[in-house]
Amino acid sequence: MAVATDASSAPMELLVSVGKNQSTKTLLRVLILCFIAAAAVASRLFSVIRFESIIHEFDPWFNFRATKYLVAHGFYDFWNWFDDRTWHPLGRVTGGTLYPGLMVTSGAIYHALRALTVPVDIRNICVLLAPAFSGLTAFAAYLLTNEMTTSSSAGLLAAAFMGITPGYISRSVAGSYDNEAIAIFLLVYTFYLWIKALKVGSVMWGALCALFYGYMVASWGGYAFITCLIPLHAFVLVCMGRFSNRLYVAYNTWYALGTLASMQIPFVGFAPVSTSEHMPALGIFGFLQLVAFLEYVRSAVPSRQFQTFLYVGLGGVFGVALLGLVGLTTGGYIAPWSGRFYSLWDTSYAKIHIPIIASVSEHQPTAWPAFFFDLNMLIWLFPAGVYMCFQKLEDEHVFVIVYALFGSYFAGVMVRLMLTLTPVVCVAAAIAASQLLDTYLVYKSPVAPEAKEEEVTDGTAKKSKQSALRSTSQPVVGIYTLISKGFIAGAMTLFLLIFVQHCTWVTSNAYSSPSVVLASRMPDGSQHIIDDYREAYQWLRQNTKEDAKIMSWWDYGYQIGGMADRPTLVDNNTWNNTHIATVGKAMSSREEVSYPIMRQHEVDYVLVVFGGLLGYSGDDINKFLWMVRIAEGIWPDEVKERDYFTPRGEYRVDSEASETMKNSLMYKMSYYNYCSLFPPGQAQDRVRGVRLPDQGPVLNTLEEAYTSENWIIRIYKVKDLDNVGRDHALAASFDRGNKKKKAGKKRGPRVLRAE
Amino acid sequence: MRWLPALLSFALPFGALAAKKSPSVDRFQEFHTKAVASSPIKLADNSYKKLTSAPRDHSVAVLLTALDARYGCQLCGEFQPEWDVLGKSWVRGDKKGESRIIFGTLDFADGRDTFLSLGLQTAPVLLLFQPTTGPHAVPAADPIRYDFTSGPQSAETVYAWIARHLPDRPHPPIYRPVNYVGWVVTIVSVLGIAGALFKLSPWILPVLQNRNVWAGLSLIGILLFTSGHMFNQIRKVPYVSGNGKGGITYFAGGFQSQFGLETQIVAFIYGLLSFAAISLAIKAPRTRDTKLQQIMVIGWGLVMVITYSFLMSIFRIKNGGYPFKLPPFM
Repeated sequence: MAVATDASSAPMELLVSVGKNQSTKTLLRVLILCFIAAAAVASRLFSVIRFESIIHEFDPWFNFRATKYLVAHGFYDFWNWFDDRTWHPLGRVTGGTLYPGLMVTSGAIYHALRALTVPVDIRNICVLLAPAFSGLTAFAAYLLTNEMTTSSSAGLLAAAFMGITPGYISRSVAGSYDNEAIAIFLLVYTFYLWIKALKVGSVMWGALCALFYGYMVASWGGYAFITCLIPLHAFVLVCMGRFSNRLYVAYNTWYALGTLASMQIPFVGFAPVSTSEHMPALGIFGFLQLVAFLEYVRSAVPSRQFQTFLYVGLGGVFGVALLGLVGLTTGGYIAPWSGRFYSLWDTSYAKIHIPIIASVSEHQPTAWPAFFFDLNMLIWLFPAGVYMCFQKLEDEHVFVIVYALFGSYFAGVMVRLMLTLTPVVCVAAAIAASQLLDTYLVYKSPVAPEAKEEEVTDGTAKKSKQSALRSTSQPVVGIYTLISKGFIAGAMTLFLLIFVQHCTWVTSNAYSSPSVVLASRMPDGSQHIIDDYREAYQWLRQNTKEDAKIMSWWDYGYQIGGMADRPTLVDNNTWNNTHIATVGKAMSSREEVSYPIMRQHEVDYVLVVFGGLLGYSGDDINKFLWMVRIAEGIWPDEVKERDYFTPRGEYRVDSEASETMKNSLMYKMSYYNYCSLFPPGQAQDRVRGVRLPDQGPVLNTLEEAYTSENWIIRIYKVKDLDNVGRDHALAASFDRGNKKKKAGKKRGPRVLRAE
Repeated sequence: MRWLPALLSFALPFGALAAKKSPSVDRFQEFHTKAVASSPIKLADNSYKKLTSAPRDHSVAVLLTALDARYGCQLCGEFQPEWDVLGKSWVRGDKKGESRIIFGTLDFADGRDTFLSLGLQTAPVLLLFQPTTGPHAVPAADPIRYDFTSGPQSAETVYAWIARHLPDRPHPPIYRPVNYVGWVVTIVSVLGIAGALFKLSPWILPVLQNRNVWAGLSLIGILLFTSGHMFNQIRKVPYVSGNGKGGITYFAGGFQSQFGLETQIVAFIYGLLSFAAISLAIKAPRTRDTKLQQIMVIGWGLVMVITYSFLMSIFRIKNGGYPFKLPPFM
């Protein structure tokens, strides 16, 4: 690494010898890794610098609230936490339905810092946890890559890639206090430990792997990825005839201890032995016992026919076990693939059966620009790196190949799983890049081709023709000319520099917005902060009763709980589809239908997000069809998606909108009084880009309580029952000064009232 | 089919007896007898009118469809077997007609007038006529229409819809006949393929154990998935689209959309870049001829630089604000 440029010989030799010194190399590596970690942390701080130290988005607000609860009440209360301020009136057994790893980690850091008498706010720990762990992830990527190749630079490159690649930054900027913040580190580190255990065949590494696997299970639902990938790797190895005692020891240690560890989490419970996602791990566990037994018998009884018989028997047992699994699943003893996992295979499943999963934008398939956006040049170095893994094809390279294939499939099906693909992309791309650089950055050129003959006879490797790659059948010579070296090294340097620029640009532009606070540019180029969300939540906090129930679409549940500290009906933990559909029905029905629903659920305020004034496209009218769809799933007779479209099948909000649309509570709440902002005939919705009718909707059962500065958040108070027992439409009409319609004509013939 | 008239004539006396009580009872009985023979009943204009005419004390579920290939109704063809399963299993579970519902199918070829009188432009349409008299009567005489907008339906969803509209009547469960032939065919073919593979194993095994084959397959898989193939599968995007001026647009406008051809171009570019990297890192240092090596390195290097520049220029089409570019595609 150290290139001496000094002219005088003595200091140069000293420098060279220093560079070759093992301890200097180690020191350099540590320094480089520290710099990489610092770069990883620094590139995630855009949002803190631009805005403030604030929790982002939606889910992190719940994690933050749970962490505060943990810090305030202690671990055991947290474990048994029943939260009656969400999912009113059902409540949520929060302690048993969350992955506690994240909160416990921050709590531990908090208490450790307190013990060191460092006064630190729990919020700052939560905000900065993800960047801190990204530094650790870079280190884990370094370790994992070092297991794959002997090149000393590959690991450092992988660490650098992992540290700044946007595919990982997207979920780990400062303030993005989500499970993924620590889970990716655990994922990579677990894989490292697995490879280590497999290579060494030691129980200790296997146990460590199981330990970190347990931590991972405690942290993120995505642990199922490990649960499926490690058995798959083991299975592929056995199929390739690479069964070894190392594999046996590593896998069994990991499986036995890891399963026990994962069952300690209340949310996971007995899932590892009763759901389909975990069955591959269990099946391979049994399969390995069989294979090990047969291997033993084979070593003891050297009869060729016996072997064949055994292998047939092995296949038979495997088939029978598979049939048994299918039978148990149809019999209902093993839960079939849960919707979220199943939708990864049958990609149209979610759209038809579980609209609530299909409605989340993270669960959409990935278009190709997203790959390039998140990984830049790594995306084409990645296949090259995977190809290079075929060169040696040790056990650990098989792992990279299997991981690469499945990771890219999953990332293609679901945008969110780009996150699980990123580590293997970094590792493979680093292998490719380091091989390129190692080849072209060698100053020493090989001598003229005449001398080559003996090198060939020396023979770098004696590979059997069949098992090697064709491209590696010739021995390595090296690069002759400086022009070649300079050209490729220069190009790679340029590409790497662009990569860094790209990552910084993407992070700064796409992934650093807290989405709680919006930023816009004024005409003179200065930054203008739009803070409607916090403004409205603050209003709720200060102007409503402590236990006023807020109804909103589930996206905002966690934020209302975290920032406004008010009970909500539904939130982002979408555990009860019916309850969400109830809210969807209330939002999408006429007032006469919605009002009883809201009364039954003791709703005091209704909150809607409306972007029409500002042109903020993530508002409730744009999400409205999902509310309709989810409600239709439960009440197909009362809510019909088709009624919300015009006869020509368009989704409109202007005067052409369908009657059902115009009468829906959501439409009314969004556009109530909106046209009063504009001169007559000028009312305009800037998101949908349409002109609105002059006559705005009329609300009878709700009254406007608060509208934020830019109208993004509108809050309505649910009216109490009328004092004199009229229905709300009548009362509101009376208040407007309309004369009560005489119903006399419709009255039937007078009858004598017999009491 | 010849025995059907005979059966009908056999059933007629019963109908005639019942006719004394109420004219509609025999109508239901008549059609129910047909249904027991084969449900859903194949209707024509006349029988459709007779079955659904106004005072009725039974329910009718009619599927108006256009199965003939001329009309090109794909949904009709897809739904027909499900509808047959539903009709069969309902009658199978309710031979006595306690649920008082008749399942019928009216093809456009047999019922042109009905289609015209209903003003139907599309098929399939599923109508449910509720009884107007009798214990299950509902006030509205108009049929209820089933919504086919969300694609092909299974017998189960339609079953649920019908069952919802027929409260407090028996709902015989759906029974799907076991496809014995299918099972036998599957088992035989699986065994056959397994046997063939076993016989051919001396030729297949070397291919299976060949590292080059696996490397190639893995790379193809990875390139497919990372170039957005699954997006095409799930969203069913068009292959290319016109630009409105008679030409072809190869690249879709937005960041969240793409065309089929576009992903293939991108996959090809990725493949080219990867191959350049592989050649430079593995092939070139193994080339012993100095000249050849020089040409190879410069050649692949140029391919890499130019292709990457092209890739970035494509990405700028997708994302207008992207600031980075490389020569020659500025």
